[in-house]
Amino acid sequence: MIGKNRRKRTWFAAAVLAAGSLVATSLPAHAETGVSASEIKLGITLPLTGAASPGYNKVGDAMNAYFKYVNDNGGVYGRKITLIQKNDEYSPTLAVAKTNELILKDKVFALVGSLGTANHKAVAKSVGLQRRGIPDLFINTGFSGFADKKVYGTTFPLFPSYYMEAKIMAEFIKDNYAGKTLGLVYQNDDFGSDAVKGFAQAGLKFDVTIPYTSGTQSASTAQTWVSQLAAGKAQVVVMFGVTSATGPLLAVAAAAKYAPQWILGSVGGDATTLRALGVPAAVLTGAQGASFLPSPGDTSDEYVKLFQEVNAKYNNNVAFDNNVLVGMNTAMLTVQALRAAGQNLTRRGLIRAIQSKGSKFASAGLAPLNWSSSSQVGYNGYWFGQYDSAGNMKPLSGGVVVYTTDNAKGAVVKSNYKRPAMPAKGLPNNS
Amino acid sequence: MRNFKFKRSLAFVAVSSLLSLTVVSIPTAARAADPACTTANFVTTCVGATSDTAPYMMIVPANFNGTVYLYSHGYRNNVPLPAAISAITGFPTAVANTPEPVPGGNAAIYGPLLAKGYAVMGSGFARQGWNADSAIKTNVELIGVFKKQFTKTTKVVAWGNSLGGFITQALAEQYPNLIDAAAPLCMASDITPALTLAGDALWGIKTFFDPTIKGGNYSAGAAGYAEAMGDLGKVFGAIGALQAAFAANPTAPAWPATSKVPDALKAVPSRSALVLVALMAGVPLQSAHFDSTSAPSVLPAAQQTSFQLAINPAFAALENMANAAALGVLVTYDLELQAGGAVFDNSATDYAARVADEQFIWSSALSGNSATAAMLGYLAAVPRAKADPAAVAKLKTLTSHSGKLDIPTILFTGVADPVTVAGNQQSVADKYAAYYAEKWEEAKANKKKTGDYKKPQNNLLVLWNFTPEKYTKFTAAGAPDTSLPAATGTNHCNFTAKQYLAIADLLAYAAENGKNLSGGALLTKLRKAGNMTFDRGYSAPKMKYYGE
Repeated sequence: MIGKNRRKRTWFAAAVLAAGSLVATSLPAHAETGVSASEIKLGITLPLTGAASPGYNKVGDAMNAYFKYVNDNGGVYGRKITLIQKNDEYSPTLAVAKTNELILKDKVFALVGSLGTANHKAVAKSVGLQRRGIPDLFINTGFSGFADKKVYGTTFPLFPSYYMEAKIMAEFIKDNYAGKTLGLVYQNDDFGSDAVKGFAQAGLKFDVTIPYTSGTQSASTAQTWVSQLAAGKAQVVVMFGVTSATGPLLAVAAAAKYAPQWILGSVGGDATTLRALGVPAAVLTGAQGASFLPSPGDTSDEYVKLFQEVNAKYNNNVAFDNNVLVGMNTAMLTVQALRAAGQNLTRRGLIRAIQSKGSKFASAGLAPLNWSSSSQVGYNGYWFGQYDSAGNMKPLSGGVVVYTTDNAKGAVVKSNYKRPAMPAKGLPNNS
Repeated sequence: MRNFKFKRSLAFVAVSSLLSLTVVSIPTAARAADPACTTANFVTTCVGATSDTAPYMMIVPANFNGTVYLYSHGYRNNVPLPAAISAITGFPTAVANTPEPVPGGNAAIYGPLLAKGYAVMGSGFARQGWNADSAIKTNVELIGVFKKQFTKTTKVVAWGNSLGGFITQALAEQYPNLIDAAAPLCMASDITPALTLAGDALWGIKTFFDPTIKGGNYSAGAAGYAEAMGDLGKVFGAIGALQAAFAANPTAPAWPATSKVPDALKAVPSRSALVLVALMAGVPLQSAHFDSTSAPSVLPAAQQTSFQLAINPAFAALENMANAAALGVLVTYDLELQAGGAVFDNSATDYAARVADEQFIWSSALSGNSATAAMLGYLAAVPRAKADPAAVAKLKTLTSHSGKLDIPTILFTGVADPVTVAGNQQSVADKYAAYYAEKWEEAKANKKKTGDYKKPQNNLLVLWNFTPEKYTKFTAAGAPDTSLPAATGTNHCNFTAKQYLAIADLLAYAAENGKNLSGGALLTKLRKAGNMTFDRGYSAPKMKYYGE
């Protein structure tokens, strides 16, 4: 709108002059929304209640726990991070309203970790994040469209896109289950159709295909899915849906004694959430899944170990699962992005910092980060593992093999990426 | 999914708000060249008619401070309506041209204004329907009559609702020397985008739910009138059938018996077809009583999510589409009479492109990608409406907005207005932004040339009435309660007296100071009025006509 940028510059100049003439301080004064000499305000929308909330409702608290850990150790150049969580109940309309609230009322500096593809599409369209120049960091959705810099110029996806995940999963299936009868259950929207496109790009065909409409997942709908899969004699079934759909599918299948080899997409494969949804441990045991992070139960991993300590001290020691791991890893990346933007923190500077330095950020990820001036996508790979009886995903017999690919027609390759060492005490010191 | 019994008819609730008629009446004998004035209780009331026979009313307090508010009323039917349609829509049976000096003739608005020494006036206009061109002339004449009668007049501010907002905007653009400040409220922007919305909504209802709806290209004379009135009845018949089906089985409501879509398409719930029509027309999916977010607490958790994502938006579409489709019939018939032929044309419209951006956001309400593809495939295959080029050319000669505002102007609308959707206001804001950019370039060029730099004044203040985050209410049994007042930010021109008076105060300030109020004083004023937001970063969705 008219005059916005000019006004900002004027405010900024006034603030700097004021700082120079009044008090000597170790921090520059700031006119940027959500940033003061002592605080950086961030916001997140996610489902904290409702059918879609199990598991996802832990992400915000996990982020907060890590931010508290950083705050207790000096913050980001002396500024403490405040994360404001808003419950969108997984409703796009409410996500828009809550995001407006974060921006207009709470006046956050940036959004971080917001969750849900439909929700985030609605937010980007209705709230106008790009138009306003509001950084939209490390969103919890892998919709491939968010990688379009022209449309979502301030948005930085963290996950490989669902399209990339499907391409990678296709390669894994071809490597391990050639000749088997294949089934696919997927959410019949851009989330699922992204996957369908990825499988098609990789040349993988399914014998039984079951789309479901988001919001209709329940035990009774799962009965029909299981009947169709069983009738089609599917031996390997890929589930590309949310956890609240995966749960009923596995539980109903177990009750019907239908036991194909399950391969769970990254979105719906969180073990603790599935167990909470009534999936018996025995059913989940042996299922296979994909992840770009280490197993949450792998305490030999330095990041997992640190995050578990942070979880114990700052997060009421809640069950440490993939959602907690994702939340803390996201928070750690956020801290590095804020540091990379420098002491004179601006929204534009933050975006530039991720584009120029994001690929070098330390993270728990076992796949490389790909942010650059030409790529908005974060991780670009997955490894596959198998759930054990405790719900931990363990590498297959060949160890952790990371497959990587791109968001276009590029091939899937086995990566030789070596994760850099974690910063001392898990406290980033980058600039 | 449980059945729902509504406390009140959805369609009726929505449509009755389409038009607010003045409660002020004047004696018919007062139509004279000079106003007939009477004074009582320190207030002078003048009535009369301008040269085009449009009746007007002026109300002037004894302590008149020199500023008068000129109000332009909204769209009224320009043909008589059958009693049954009148009962449903809230439009009067007869064509009414009673003057309306303040919104709705509301004493809670004119009372405080008169008490502060302001005068108010308004015309009933000589012609109803889309009457902007003649109404602008009427208003210009009316200003002259007022100034002649009340020589203390120093400032004229214009405001208006809906079509009256269009008229007000045009007055501000064309007559900056007559008007000191303006406030187009819940405004209509140009005729073609508005006609496109209404026509798409009507065509969608026809195509999915009752192909016997003519939907335009009405015959001449009495036959055409009968066709249009018949269409109104059929539209409400289809909406009523959908309402009954939604109430009986919200998860998979049946299609109306009048629908002729293939049986395979009927596997898609009819609610999803209605949501698709709303999306392709650009009708919001938040309505007076449905927020597209809430669910009855009596439902199990899993069903609550389904209600939130799939069913609540369909009810919102139902409530809003009644407005849009009824307006579609009335506006189409009116404009065809004026233009002399069919004016709605969707022969080249790509409805799939229209909803491409939104179909995923509303995926659950649309029953998923496959169902959406099937519905769009059907829309692509059926015959389209074709306009008469001569009639379209004639429409283009009617007044349109340039966005060039050289006097302080205030825009205000509800973000979920189903008739003059928020994109109307946005289009004027966008046009003004382009105009301002031009002025700025001129100022910079002038600086280069002369060394003098004068920053152009921003004359446009854009305000929004946002909806609450959650507002759908349910009875103890879990049925949506539509007997409650419409939520703020929804329905057509659904403003409170406090909001109108805040606009009036802002207009008075603007007229007095030659610029809009800003900064903390503005924010305080808005906060006190309630549900008025100034947000430079907000941009309402553009109307579908503009290709977004």
